[in-house]
Amino acid sequence: MAKTVLEVRNFQAFFHTRRGIVRAVDNVSFKVHEGETLGVVGESGSGKTVCQLSYLRLLPEPPLRIHSGEVILNGSLDLLKQAPSGMRKIRGSQVSMIFQEPMTSLNPYMTVGSQIMEPLRIHLKLSRKDAAIEAAKALDRVGIADVKAALGRYPHEFSGGMRQRVMIAMALTTKPKLLIADEPTTALDVTVQAQILDLLRSIQQETGMAIVFITHDLGVVASIAHEVVVMYAGKVMERGNAEQLFYQTQHPYTHALLQSTPRIDINQGKLPAIGGTPPDLSRLEQGCPFVGRCAHKRAICEGTFPEAKLYPAGHEAYCHLEGLPA
Amino acid sequence: MSTIALRIEELSVFYSLRKRLFGLGPAETVKAVQSVSLELRQGEILGLVGESGCGKSSLGKAIIRLIEPTSGKIEIAGVDFRSLKGEELRKKRSFVQMVFQDPYASLDPRMTVHAILAEPLQAAGIFKSAEMNARIMEVLGLVGIAKQNVHRYPHEFSGGQRQRVAIARALILKPKVIIADEPVSSLDVSVQAQILNLLKDIQKELGLSMLFISHNLAVVKYLADRIAVMYLGKVVEVADQEELFAHPSHPYTRALLSAVPIPDPRKEKARARIPLKGEIPSPVNLPKGCAFHTRCPNAFDRCRTETPSLERTTASNREVACFAPHV
Repeated sequence: MAKTVLEVRNFQAFFHTRRGIVRAVDNVSFKVHEGETLGVVGESGSGKTVCQLSYLRLLPEPPLRIHSGEVILNGSLDLLKQAPSGMRKIRGSQVSMIFQEPMTSLNPYMTVGSQIMEPLRIHLKLSRKDAAIEAAKALDRVGIADVKAALGRYPHEFSGGMRQRVMIAMALTTKPKLLIADEPTTALDVTVQAQILDLLRSIQQETGMAIVFITHDLGVVASIAHEVVVMYAGKVMERGNAEQLFYQTQHPYTHALLQSTPRIDINQGKLPAIGGTPPDLSRLEQGCPFVGRCAHKRAICEGTFPEAKLYPAGHEAYCHLEGLPA
Repeated sequence: MSTIALRIEELSVFYSLRKRLFGLGPAETVKAVQSVSLELRQGEILGLVGESGCGKSSLGKAIIRLIEPTSGKIEIAGVDFRSLKGEELRKKRSFVQMVFQDPYASLDPRMTVHAILAEPLQAAGIFKSAEMNARIMEVLGLVGIAKQNVHRYPHEFSGGQRQRVAIARALILKPKVIIADEPVSSLDVSVQAQILNLLKDIQKELGLSMLFISHNLAVVKYLADRIAVMYLGKVVEVADQEELFAHPSHPYTRALLSAVPIPDPRKEKARARIPLKGEIPSPVNLPKGCAFHTRCPNAFDRCRTETPSLERTTASNREVACFAPHV
């Protein structure tokens, strides 16, 4: 078994607002292994992004408050016990992050070169000259042609795909053990998305970096993820490896999501849509949050959130059903 | 042969950029849509796909004359739409209606659903409140919005419900043609499926003719009867839905289809991708010859000098603009 790079255990983080408590991340657990990609799937508001941002301490606290859990990096370091200064050292050196819209996450006033050099100068304490050499190498690695000219350009001079390459180059300069990728291809065209996914895969093979890949696109998950966590209304619904999730689906939500996704490889009759909309996270009841939209709900689902049902080889589903009815 | 609901002939949309300093040098033009001809048959859904910047939205907006086309002809239900002016244009506006991508932006936040739906009726000269209300209730029923919600404001609805209201607004004047520009792109998968089914159902029920613009090939496959693929302002391939997905012919269509991820890990691993080299060229400085030759894996000398036109292939009911289409 590959080494565990990140383990999140029973992590709970709520927003305390005037309207009440928003249970954004509720008892979430997962592991990411060296050289592997964990796909975190969910719709908007499922907590997939907030979960990662909150243990990286990138959200203002308050309104966010971390209630419980452990987030262990490299087997020993609990991120939830770090002081802000300690977290600053970890972010950007051991853990890097890339975002959906590279244009809003790059600084429009700084050249690409000086932005890539920034983490090198801060975390690795390199001289200007050495940092420039490393930055050039980093851009070369992500497939940007004419590196010298690219270093002197500003973000707006690049296309969307090229900007995402710059973001990836910047995230990788400090050789992080873990990359958090938050919908990095959602704003890109499919042909460019394919290029970026290929790039992430080849970098992972080369460096053994672990990736947490947040997405709402099940096709992208099938393409890049080894392990998958399905989230809904702040909770984990199902977890397992890609094969288990796609071919031995056990949770009605995962099943419904797969069924309602239009796809190009088969002719679908009428799409079985999931009725209704996700619940308001500030008014969650005791039971399963999916109960209002579930095709297999029973009386017990209203009152209690289920324990994990265990299936072979680490496959788990949080559902009262003993397996999905055929 | 079915009748044609919308015919566009050699439609072009050019945007001129700001003149250079002191008016020196030639003014630059973005050729967003270049001489596109398409037919939308009565009662069909024609999918228009392409990546960002290919001109698909410009084409849609030009058809309803939100953008004035540079040249070409638009014919809706036999009426020459581009020659209409003033009062006549206002009357015939009801022929074609549009659904936009973002229902948060396309519905006025200060108007109730009733006011949103009454406005097009008033613009069309229907003022009697009994008639208006009957029509409003009818379309709300069609799109699945409960009647008691008629006095609510857009912010009280979810994204999916808002898109239903936007669809109701497009339907209320009984248009001959609907242009839907990425109507499900801002919605989550579970809600997206609801709206796709709704569009499919009402299209069947009312026999609507719809131009469905999207970058999402899976969504277009689900909904469209025929599909047109655009690249850099031009239509490169048109075919029936099943034909296009089973046997894509233009090298761009082939590359595009091979890049769409499939939610099936085993299939994903077994697939051969057709990678595209480089970046999409700027629509200001279009390449000579076929616009796709800079990225085409099969380009040869002729592609760099001559521009292929959209031609019907002998074997099947399809049109391709390529000197060496895949057969």
